[in-house]
Amino acid sequence: MSELVRLTDVTKVYQGGITGALNGVSLSVEKGEFAAIMGPSGSGKSTMLNLVAGLDRPTSGTITVGGTDLARLGETGLARFRRDHVGFVFQFFYLLPNLTALENILIPSQLKGTSATGRARDLMQTLGIADIADRFPARLSGGQQQRVAIARALINGPTLLLADEPTGALDTHSGEHVMDLLGQLNRDGQTILLVTHDAKLATRYAARVVSVVDGEIVDDARLETAERAAAEIIRVRPEEASR
Amino acid sequence: MSLKYGVLGLLTGEPLHGYEVKNRFEAMLGGTWEVNIGQIYTTLQRLERDGLVRPAGPRGDRGKQTYELLPDGRRALEQWLAEPDSGPQTLHEDIYVKLLLATRIANGDLQPLLARQKRAYLQRLRDLNRLEERARRDGRIDLARLVRGALLHTEADLKWVDELSSGRTTETETPR
Repeated sequence: MSELVRLTDVTKVYQGGITGALNGVSLSVEKGEFAAIMGPSGSGKSTMLNLVAGLDRPTSGTITVGGTDLARLGETGLARFRRDHVGFVFQFFYLLPNLTALENILIPSQLKGTSATGRARDLMQTLGIADIADRFPARLSGGQQQRVAIARALINGPTLLLADEPTGALDTHSGEHVMDLLGQLNRDGQTILLVTHDAKLATRYAARVVSVVDGEIVDDARLETAERAAAEIIRVRPEEASR
Repeated sequence: MSLKYGVLGLLTGEPLHGYEVKNRFEAMLGGTWEVNIGQIYTTLQRLERDGLVRPAGPRGDRGKQTYELLPDGRRALEQWLAEPDSGPQTLHEDIYVKLLLATRIANGDLQPLLARQKRAYLQRLRDLNRLEERARRDGRIDLARLVRGALLHTEADLKWVDELSSGRTTETETPR
């Protein structure tokens, strides 16, 4: 695998004591990885994602994505980088209410000046939302809205998909469905960086869990993926406990 | 002692001999509880002694004896199923004792212990997730529910370790 994202000694200071600051964070993400960033609220995990997405700039340190040093890009270059290389899925879907699902999905491709209706319909098929193409967001369930947002994030074929608490506003069932889709995308080769506070979901899909506390990476665990026998994972033996 | 009730439960369907009970019991538990055949025979003999099961018919090939459930056995099983588990919470993992000892031995610095434990819990969560998926794929919804319980327990363990790591409950109290 080759490196896709690298943060080197990245610090982000916010004026006025706003939480989410980062303090000398270094991290490398390989192409094809599904990595979860976990930590309590205010720990800086969303800040990391925003910096990698080029939505914000670090106070110091360097961030490269696909070999591009983001600090070398001006505002226009950064906007182009985001449009062409990064897909972003948020907790609250941020769909435009006056556009249909399909039109929402097409926005990034229109900004790029390309026609992608065929690809949009393919994505909607993959994500199980083909039948709601002409509906407006207000008429969609939360799970459907998030799947529209995922299609929008993928429309330009980004090298990197960033997801910030994508299940945070969904019920358990819809959340699992959305995560299943992200897992499928990763198996098809999509690199995904996921911010979540849900360890069950994180470990189900991501083979790597990066723990962030108070703006620092305190652990970077690569989990084993080999199948284990049931008895190595759980042992049900109530009679021992009652002896 | 739920092996006893496991055996009674399996005999509600049809009379079974020892090996059938063992195989069905282990299959029901999805490989999470292995019993040896000796335990099964001992259990069947005790159940017979207590009037809860009885031998059904003559011994078959290689002397295999099938057993059937008696009305008292069914009543005992139903009573057990209806009772909630209300005993004390059992914590039978070493980490609880390690925590107490490390507090004394390592001058209260629990971080290395907690960091390693956190990784173990993350790995367990991943393994349990895989096991739950496997159970669902196999159509074993009952087993998937059991694994789900284990997942939620491990999630709680992880939260506990995170809480200890963040110092919220590791203030400077001196152990006595």
